[in-house]
Amino acid sequence: MADDLVLDGVTKRYGALTPLDRISVTIPGNTYVSLLGPSGSGKTVLLRVIAGFEAPDAGSVRLGGRRLDGMAAHLRGIGFVFQNYALFPHLSVRDNIGFGLASRAVEPVRDPAALRRRVDAMIALVGLEGLGERGVHQISGGQRQRVALARTLVTEPRLVLLDEPLGALDANLRTRMRGELRRIREQLGVTFLHVTGSDTEALAIGDQVIVLDRGTIAQHDRPDAVYNRPNSAQVARFLNCYNIFPGRRDGARFVSEIAAFPLAESVARGDGAGREPAYCIRQDLIEIRAADAPVASGEAALPAEFIASEYSGASIAYFFRTARGETVEVEAHLSHRRPVELEPQRRYTLAWDAGRAVVFA
Amino acid sequence: MEHTITAGTAPSLTAETAPPARPRVSRRSLVPYVLIAPGVIWMLVFLVLPILMMVYVSFWTQTTFAIKPILTTRSWVNFFSSTTYVASLWTTLRIWLIVLAATLVVGYPTALFVGLFVRNKTLSTVLLVLCVIPFWTSFLIRVVAWRPMLGEQGAINIILRSLHLIQHPISALLYTELSVVIGMTQIYCVFMVGPIAFMLSRIDPNIIEAARDLGAGFWRIFARIILPLSMPGVVVGAIFVSVMVLGEFATSAALSGRKVNMLGNIILTQVGSLKWAFAAVVGVVLTIVMGIVVSLFLRIVDLRREL
Repeated sequence: MADDLVLDGVTKRYGALTPLDRISVTIPGNTYVSLLGPSGSGKTVLLRVIAGFEAPDAGSVRLGGRRLDGMAAHLRGIGFVFQNYALFPHLSVRDNIGFGLASRAVEPVRDPAALRRRVDAMIALVGLEGLGERGVHQISGGQRQRVALARTLVTEPRLVLLDEPLGALDANLRTRMRGELRRIREQLGVTFLHVTGSDTEALAIGDQVIVLDRGTIAQHDRPDAVYNRPNSAQVARFLNCYNIFPGRRDGARFVSEIAAFPLAESVARGDGAGREPAYCIRQDLIEIRAADAPVASGEAALPAEFIASEYSGASIAYFFRTARGETVEVEAHLSHRRPVELEPQRRYTLAWDAGRAVVFA
Repeated sequence: MEHTITAGTAPSLTAETAPPARPRVSRRSLVPYVLIAPGVIWMLVFLVLPILMMVYVSFWTQTTFAIKPILTTRSWVNFFSSTTYVASLWTTLRIWLIVLAATLVVGYPTALFVGLFVRNKTLSTVLLVLCVIPFWTSFLIRVVAWRPMLGEQGAINIILRSLHLIQHPISALLYTELSVVIGMTQIYCVFMVGPIAFMLSRIDPNIIEAARDLGAGFWRIFARIILPLSMPGVVVGAIFVSVMVLGEFATSAALSGRKVNMLGNIILTQVGSLKWAFAAVVGVVLTIVMGIVVSLFLRIVDLRREL
């Protein structure tokens, strides 16, 4: 593909720290890729290396076959949307958006009419009509986000890097901007590489999801594949929707400190096994039963004491404590089940289809 | 605010026990005046009254050994009909403009370095303190210290001669307008550096990175982003320098050998010879000039919005 971004063995070190450790990945053109990782996983550093704000210590970065490392940031054809937007505080919305076109060293747009036309088109694309003459302090956070995006997009980059672009917005606006970002990207046909620390945002927005863990790529797949078949216990942990029990495999069973779970034939085993043996079961696959209820064959079960529940509209989260003091979370979607009344400090049996577990052993 | 609180609690209280809202509100509203009173009194007694007095005295009648509160415009006519005094007004304005330009030329790049290029907060504080170190000695010593630097047997001439760049010592360095400008630039430069460096250090580094990423070169970023964002600092620095230079008399006296007479020097000599009315005229002229200069600078930038 003409616009593939290819990283090959990209490494970055700061003294004893290695925020990027031999990252090799291919990001196809015209795609929305989300980059998920906890803080300190190296995601911002990776973005800054691709953008050209930092030089890698080893490895190469190519865009459309052209080698980028060593090239100045503004010559790479890559746009960068900053976490705090970094808008020019003294310029109007229009001048912010037009800055790149009017001020760039290479092929600046000097003709005021042409500049105006292109800025107007961009204002329309991001939905800021009528706000062009406002100062950037006279608009809302969501609108500022759009200015930051428009300011980058107007220079027609082939790849846009977004560093936690929705982090400063409230939850409601964040959800709306996800759809907006996808629409804008599809309209332009460029690649968006969107860094986020939020698992739901990463899954919702990306055509592909890259999970970054301590400077290496833990998984790179479609969102549903990452969600249903995480590569490692660590990825499962980032997804925030798995109960993870460390332990080891013993024949047809997985033995953890709290219980032994039968392993079904169809059980999914991650490829990234070996690093950290663990038994992972999604929170919404667990069923709550009375303590003495029978457990069918092919099911795994775990006795636990109910602590508390948390109601959040469409779903409810129940928190249990095992005999060893570990917390187990069960999520029930209220469109499928009615909320059950549980008695605190009482023991229940948590059961699930053993075939739905993800096991690393 | 007061009203909503009172209204909200009123229903739960009977008419007798409900605290009367009015006295509390009015006592509260006195607080700002009490807070501002010492400052206002101070300014009235030591600034406004003296200025009014100065204007009044400038119209008194001056004889050789006495001054009488009989109103006359003689001192004013004397000032503007004397070529010496009008020339000293021009000298003051000329030196002010040159020193202002010089402090800006020397100070802006320094501030750019301290405030923007040094991203380590500790280091930039250390550098700013270095700029202030000359102020640890007294003002007069700093001024007089320029004499052994600039004189015919001074450090600069000795160095230039030992480098064989000149044959005869340059005498134009000391006791000229040049030496006054050099001395003032050195003394007042830090007042330009401080405010500009402060404004520059407040610029989010991401903004400059964003501008660079959008393809702008250094000069373009400087002209479109850095300079406009630092303008409030430039204006504050310029006001500091202007007010101090316009009122100067010591540097011009010490480094010009009394050849360069600024308005401040005239005031000093007139007061020295007990010509109070005439000194008051010069004082009023100087005050008006400063007022015009400061209000012009404030026209450039809306400081209240920017700071």
